[in-house]
Amino acid sequence: MKRITAIAGAALLAVGVAACSGGGGAATSGTDTAGQPAQTASAAGFQEQHKGGTLRLLAKSGDGTLDPHINYSNGNWQVFQALYDGLVSFRKVGGNTSYDIVPDLAEEMPQVSADGKTYTFKLRKDVKFTTGEPVTVDDVVASFQRIFRVSGPTSGTFYSGIVGAADCVKKPAGCTLDKGVVADAAAGTVTVNLVAADSEFLQKLALPHAAVLPKGTPDKDQGTTPIPGTGPYKVESYNPNKQMKLVRNPNFTEWSRDAQPQGYPDEIDYNYGLTPEAAVTAVQNGQADWIFDPLPADRLTEIGTTYAEQAHVNPLAAFWYIPVNVNLAPFDKPEAREALQWAFDKNALVKMFGGANVAQPACTILPPAFPGHADVCDFPQQDLAKAKDLVQKSGTSGQEVSVVVSDDDVSKQIGEYVRSTLEQIGYQAKLKVISTNIHFTYIQNTKNKVQLSVSQWYADYPAASNFINVLLSCASFREGSDASINISGFCDKDVDAKIAEAMKLDQSDTAAAGKVWGELDRELMKRGPIVPLFNPKQIDFVSKNVGNYQFHAQFHALLDQMWVK
Amino acid sequence: MIGYILRRFGAALLVLFAISVLVFLIFFATPGVDPAARIAGKNADPATLAQVRASFGFDRPLPVQYALMMKHLFISHDLTSFVNRGTLVIPQIIEAVPVTLSLVVGAAVIWMVLGVGMGTLAGAMRGTLVDPLVMLLGVFGVSLPVYWLGEVVNLITQKQLHDSVFSWVPPLGYVPMSEGIGQWALHLLFPWLTLALLYAGIYARLLRGELINALNEDYVRTARAKGLSERRILVKHALRCSLIPIVSLFGLDFGALVGGAALLTEVVFGLPGVGKLTYQALQNLDLPVIMGTVLYAAFFVVLANAVVDVLYARLDPRVRRA
Repeated sequence: MKRITAIAGAALLAVGVAACSGGGGAATSGTDTAGQPAQTASAAGFQEQHKGGTLRLLAKSGDGTLDPHINYSNGNWQVFQALYDGLVSFRKVGGNTSYDIVPDLAEEMPQVSADGKTYTFKLRKDVKFTTGEPVTVDDVVASFQRIFRVSGPTSGTFYSGIVGAADCVKKPAGCTLDKGVVADAAAGTVTVNLVAADSEFLQKLALPHAAVLPKGTPDKDQGTTPIPGTGPYKVESYNPNKQMKLVRNPNFTEWSRDAQPQGYPDEIDYNYGLTPEAAVTAVQNGQADWIFDPLPADRLTEIGTTYAEQAHVNPLAAFWYIPVNVNLAPFDKPEAREALQWAFDKNALVKMFGGANVAQPACTILPPAFPGHADVCDFPQQDLAKAKDLVQKSGTSGQEVSVVVSDDDVSKQIGEYVRSTLEQIGYQAKLKVISTNIHFTYIQNTKNKVQLSVSQWYADYPAASNFINVLLSCASFREGSDASINISGFCDKDVDAKIAEAMKLDQSDTAAAGKVWGELDRELMKRGPIVPLFNPKQIDFVSKNVGNYQFHAQFHALLDQMWVK
Repeated sequence: MIGYILRRFGAALLVLFAISVLVFLIFFATPGVDPAARIAGKNADPATLAQVRASFGFDRPLPVQYALMMKHLFISHDLTSFVNRGTLVIPQIIEAVPVTLSLVVGAAVIWMVLGVGMGTLAGAMRGTLVDPLVMLLGVFGVSLPVYWLGEVVNLITQKQLHDSVFSWVPPLGYVPMSEGIGQWALHLLFPWLTLALLYAGIYARLLRGELINALNEDYVRTARAKGLSERRILVKHALRCSLIPIVSLFGLDFGALVGGAALLTEVVFGLPGVGKLTYQALQNLDLPVIMGTVLYAAFFVVLANAVVDVLYARLDPRVRRA
């Protein structure tokens, strides 16, 4: 998932936030908000005394449609955790175990056939939609069909491995998946058949795009009309310019604390419209409890010192990077790309982003603590002499290079740094700043002939392939399209084969697969289609009366687990 | 006269048409805006992209797309946002209008009272210390950009002095009049003052100049010769003529502000008005909403121009006769 994070400014946050970090990264972390034990709440079960009240959230604007099969934004994915369920889900706790897959609407983890192509789920009997209707196997089948019938954003990628999916992607209307998803109403089971084994299938099923919705939900984007779900809350009203209001789902009874714990607040009001500056002030004044948007740089010092106890810093499965276009001069030359790996001082870049407490330098494509991450660094520090040498060797010295960055403060600053460094290693470098609104799609389109840019990638789910396969495989390179996420245009049959091998190995032996991913990462670093810059961290700022802050590695703060009483 | 009105009406329609075409073309000429790619989501499969393109009609020729958009906007009234799908554009604008009107009308009252008061005072007391002092105040107002002033007002009322002097200031945002006039006004008080300060300064300076000119006119000498009181001369004769440019300026400013030019004030104070809507639509390149708000704004500017012309004639008999 892509998200622009404009945390900017100096390394001012240093003092305070360091003291209160914790939460997500380590499941063992001791104290979190205001000295309360961070992880004990979920271990101890639901704490009745904290139930009730209204949680008030802020964002500068709404985050698109309420349709979980279509929305592909961080903001609403976070909210959907309290509204919808899939057959399986990520464990809803803070810390590292939040990457675990647990059965959700399914009674237990599915039976998987030996060849890894058939998944059989036994559905829970007692779960109801907000309407009071029970969840049946027919709803599950209809939901799978609907992913394709609405041309969901990931229907052609995440779920394309289901038998019959290829046809459904081309012809969404009347998609049946009759051989792909088979229900047995008597046994209460749903069997999903895949064309080939897919080690990430369960993680994909745990995303909102595979939420189970009532059959009969219209086959088009439901926009602002809430679709009945199964979670502890339901949407009472939604106006993307004003407010989303969540109230308790009267038909909810907790069936699995791991998959879908009941929430604490009686009501969740998500108000839209305040600038992040005004939102920070509102949280300080106790007029609101939490902010979705990245915090403004000039408020970080204050938050890190005066309000340190209300701030939470957690690492993200994400990186800022330079996609290097391998099809355009001068970076079609391997030496020129290698020069880039040596050229930048990552610590300087971290400082531009806000300092060591909000980011750490990246030396690999896969972020630390992410599956497949290998703790090696072949380009440990900046070496301008070496970089200059390599540029000379490549014979591209003196060529013109432009760096395309978006117009937020951090990107501009990083862009300027990249430009001046390129000058130092022998290029005639130019900085092109374009609107943040079009930057991400602009740099993807080969027609715009972008040589270098600065971009970000946030993982959709915890799998190495979500970085390497998505960003650097031939399949995600589409010439002349605004939707070509392989921005580097890197396409190598051998690498593709190795990716396939690693993904296959992931099905049987994740440890061995991790090793292969690590090697692949290392090789790709040498070939240089991507220059990783740093891994950002998430800072959440909550009001004084918020307790039980939990950072989920995939969906970030668990909103309905915050208590306000 | 009817011919004149028809001509004017035709010209206004032409302006609106040209603006809509321009917005449409600029949007599609910008690289990186492919709405299908945005709707389909990042890393969408080409087949999915093609489906989205077809279902939204993005694969049709631009003139057809333009005509369809205009049809949805003006005939079937069901144009929906690209970004917040399912949200109809027209109701969004209709919902935002009362907020903008509340802000602009309130601010207009304040700036007209302040501007006319200050301008008259300075003009009438030319040669004394009051004149430069009032004008200094005016320059002060004109030189403070709204987005800065608004942020500083917020900083003081919501943050630094929120616990003491300004503890009565409600949180940022809008409360409709239906929830009580008092709360409505209280929420809008600082936005009103912030927005009014700039205009009050401009109007005061303009009026002072006009008033000084008028006081040197022949008809003022005539009035004095007739033995009218200075006060009557100032209010009934000089001020009335001096108000003509103020009225025309006011019409244009008011029209533009109602049309969304109060954008910065709305954004800074978190008021969900038309300006804010435009701002957000521009932020996420939501063409239908941009189109809706731009046409709405253009409509008000055109309308305001017409109203100004009529008022002009009302105030100045010479215009009527011409």
